[in-house]
Amino acid sequence: MLKSFNQNAVSNTHKAKSSILWRLHLDAPLLLGLILLMMFGLLVIYSAGGESIDLIKRQVVRLGFGMAVMLVIAQIPPRILKMWAPVLYVGAIGFLLAVLLFGESSKGAQRWINIGIRFQPSEMMKIAMPMMVAWYFAEKALPPSFKHLIVGLTLVLVPTIMIMMQPDLGTSLLIASSGFFIIFFAGIRWRYLLSAAIAGVVMVPIMWFFVMHEYQKGRVLTFLNPERDPLGAGYHIIQSQIAIGSGGASGKGWLKGTQSQLEFLPERHTDFIFAVLGEEFGLIGVAVLLALYLFIIVRGLQISLQAQDTFSRLLGAAITLTFFVYLFVNIGMVSGLLPVVGLPLPLVSYGGTSMVTLLAGFGILMSIKTHRRLHSR
Amino acid sequence: MYKKQAVKDYGREISIFYVRAVVALVIVVALLLVLLFRQFKLQILNYEAYQTQSENNRIRIRPVAPIRGLIFDRNGILLAENRSIFALEITPEIVGKKNMDDTLTRLSRLLDIDDKQLSDFKEQIKFRSKYKSYPIKSKLTEEQVAIFSVNRHLYPGVTVEARLERYYPHGEDVVHAIGRMSAINKADIEKMEQEAEATQDFSELKNYAATNKMGKLGLEKYYEEILHGFVGQEKVETDVRGRVVKVLERQDPIAGQNLHLHLDYALQKRANQLLKEAGARGAVVAVNPLNGGVLALVSQPSYDPNLFTGGISQANYSALINSEERPLYNRAVQGTYPPASTIKPHLAWLGLQQGVIDERTRIADPGWFSLPNNKHRYRDWKPWGHGATMRVIDSIIESCDTFFYDLSVRLGINRINEGMQQFGFGQKTGLDMVEEKQGIMPSRSWKKDNRNEPWYMGDTVNIGIGQGFWTATPLQLANSSAVFANDGIRFDLQLVKEFQNEDRKTSNTPVMSAEQIVTGDGTWLDTVKEAMRLSTLPPLGTAKTAFDGANFSAAGKTGTAQVKSIAQDETYDEENIEDKFKDNALFIGYAPYENPQIAIAVVMENAGGGGGNAAPIARQLMEFYLQNNDLLPKAIAVSEPSAKQPQASLD
Repeated sequence: MLKSFNQNAVSNTHKAKSSILWRLHLDAPLLLGLILLMMFGLLVIYSAGGESIDLIKRQVVRLGFGMAVMLVIAQIPPRILKMWAPVLYVGAIGFLLAVLLFGESSKGAQRWINIGIRFQPSEMMKIAMPMMVAWYFAEKALPPSFKHLIVGLTLVLVPTIMIMMQPDLGTSLLIASSGFFIIFFAGIRWRYLLSAAIAGVVMVPIMWFFVMHEYQKGRVLTFLNPERDPLGAGYHIIQSQIAIGSGGASGKGWLKGTQSQLEFLPERHTDFIFAVLGEEFGLIGVAVLLALYLFIIVRGLQISLQAQDTFSRLLGAAITLTFFVYLFVNIGMVSGLLPVVGLPLPLVSYGGTSMVTLLAGFGILMSIKTHRRLHSR
Repeated sequence: MYKKQAVKDYGREISIFYVRAVVALVIVVALLLVLLFRQFKLQILNYEAYQTQSENNRIRIRPVAPIRGLIFDRNGILLAENRSIFALEITPEIVGKKNMDDTLTRLSRLLDIDDKQLSDFKEQIKFRSKYKSYPIKSKLTEEQVAIFSVNRHLYPGVTVEARLERYYPHGEDVVHAIGRMSAINKADIEKMEQEAEATQDFSELKNYAATNKMGKLGLEKYYEEILHGFVGQEKVETDVRGRVVKVLERQDPIAGQNLHLHLDYALQKRANQLLKEAGARGAVVAVNPLNGGVLALVSQPSYDPNLFTGGISQANYSALINSEERPLYNRAVQGTYPPASTIKPHLAWLGLQQGVIDERTRIADPGWFSLPNNKHRYRDWKPWGHGATMRVIDSIIESCDTFFYDLSVRLGINRINEGMQQFGFGQKTGLDMVEEKQGIMPSRSWKKDNRNEPWYMGDTVNIGIGQGFWTATPLQLANSSAVFANDGIRFDLQLVKEFQNEDRKTSNTPVMSAEQIVTGDGTWLDTVKEAMRLSTLPPLGTAKTAFDGANFSAAGKTGTAQVKSIAQDETYDEENIEDKFKDNALFIGYAPYENPQIAIAVVMENAGGGGGNAAPIARQLMEFYLQNNDLLPKAIAVSEPSAKQPQASLD
């Protein structure tokens, strides 16, 4: 299956070479997928946000900014990205340290620092981490030796633990997985992977008793038994399932969802937007959304497969799969498969700095795709 | 760099990657199928169950608005309360977009709703959740409630609700001191949203989920967070039309905290009355010199803040906004006036402290002053002058302009600017109101920045009599006179004395900051205070008539500010001048002289001379306050045991 895609893409490349998109270093199929997804998102936000045009305007501005960032990054050839990877990583570690020492806190979590503008270094780490780990393995003989594996794991774990301490479980989960994906694609032996999985199971009680905060434990307990907190998070889970379920096969129609708009909740157009989508567009709408996501993921993996150096290959695949983690955790959470973790539905949810970071990641994929030197030269 | 890759096996690397990519894709597809199956289970297999649940799901969580904190004066008199009223409310979702205009038209005919109320309502529903109900008309009369009840079946989505609404029992007297409330508007929501986005903290937005009004001015605005309280929620069962059938669970809201003020309502009322009787636009500020607490903060003309609370009608609104008297304008806090002669004591102190004059320095006053090599005459208010031997003390008592023209030139603008800042001029008094203006304490750099002109010597001369570029708020003037009363200590002004929880068990007090301005030899201050005392006494004091026969001792200074500049060859003719060009009357002072309890500033726009107009009002207010609070020195005090020391009855 992948092979046939491959051939198509090569011929596409030749056709598209003279087009404007090619000169802008943009990949047409990927761009199309992203834009369709965003437009779907705007449609749902308009409904979820009580038909507020202002909300849409703000989201469009944010999307525009994200696309601009993507465009800029797409112009940077992968070898330059690779050159800057260690600098970016060390810088991000420095900022994370600064956050822990004297960051601004809100609601008991310390995630921001103020350097002229308020910004969240954990967002920077989302890009810096896979770049750094890919940089490290790019020059090593692969599959990696045990020694290299340990160094790689350290590179992953240090920032992950720092972000856990803020505390921000959702982001640390994403960052850790982007690092592990690099190690996975670098060819870590299956038996190591198996041992890691077993270790993970052992870690669960340790996490529960020593690492997780009360509110995080509360979320898990509420997930297991929503009636435990019927006025709070449990209510969300119950209500979002009723909303999705009552949507049926074809949904209640755009702007006609009643369940998802019953009470005043800021999460309605942000983290829980999937419930609105499910209610108003039904199983068909959900299938369309999942198909769009699959299309983007397949395209991302395909670009990585065609990449010409190890760094690009590893980085591209890790970015693509991290994108998948986002959507899987969010949809799983809203439809009651996973506990509540504060992650948005990528490129659909309203707002969030994470949108810009996601698009920056796609900028890297575009760059990998469009800075190829043809073998014939 | 390619040398290092000698051990790399590219073929193997790529084939491993290929296998892993396929594995990853298989897992991704599998997990997507899990998600899809989950939705399939919810939406197809369990559809009927959820569908019924959704139909029957009349159980909603709705926010419950907290009760807003009350505002009391220093003696526990209620200044802002919450009254239970009937409000006509509309839930946009139930009415529907199509029927909205028709419903509104019919309603406005039925219940006399005017265009402004209609447009305010439309504005509000544009940007807030359509599933909530919003008031279109508050304070329905019993008759209106009855009329609507009969016609209710014609208006789905429109209800009469019992609500609590802010009410100011003494509205007109206190609005400029405590502010007002009105409906939350688009800008308010946007501000909250932006803050929430910036901090990712949505608790404030949630907290206002059930609130339709907020503080827009004065204390109501400044202490919004404290007064508002915390939203509660209840789980309710509703019928098909959205009406609540039963409350299942309830988490009570937490009421806002009450504010207890330094303000003395009796004094506030009296001051309003006196200004009104005098027919003057103006302001009175009275402060407690011992702690900076504001005892009265009056601006006339005034208006009724209750008009705004329930949505103001078009007629009332245009009457207020178009009035030439500008009742909405808070003269005490935002009015900036030339302080005129009221600041002569301050300049005198500065001259003594800087050593440019001493108690014995005498100047001759021919009725005018001029700068060397300049023919321009700066005139004294007394055309023929105050005589040949004016000392500083005489010049304060008689308000001799020539002496202060001369003194200001001796001091120079730099020293005046620095010295007067110590009295609080040119800066906010720290009052707990965001609307406060800071006036202008001019300097060379101020003139350069604002007028793009150099500072001339003539500018300094004008500063000597509190004219020219110098402007001050009545608040600043009152606080500067408190500095004399308090032997050189300046406090930040403060209206609120205490916050108190509903149960009255816990309270806390805002911190008052004080600044000592006079250091070293106190005799300079004593000299100036003595002169201010003699200003209220015969034979020569400018306020002697106003304080004639007072049974307490006072100190003060009059001021008369020119509003229109008089040409060299003109004279000011009070009889024939247009009202709006008449002088502003000012007075600052404190009492009792020996043991000051109240410091006061009176400013009256276009009222004429300060001694004849402002000083009598200050005197009556001092008398009223001292008498009311049992602070007058009594003739028979000797025979009484010392149980009622003046200090004891103070806070």
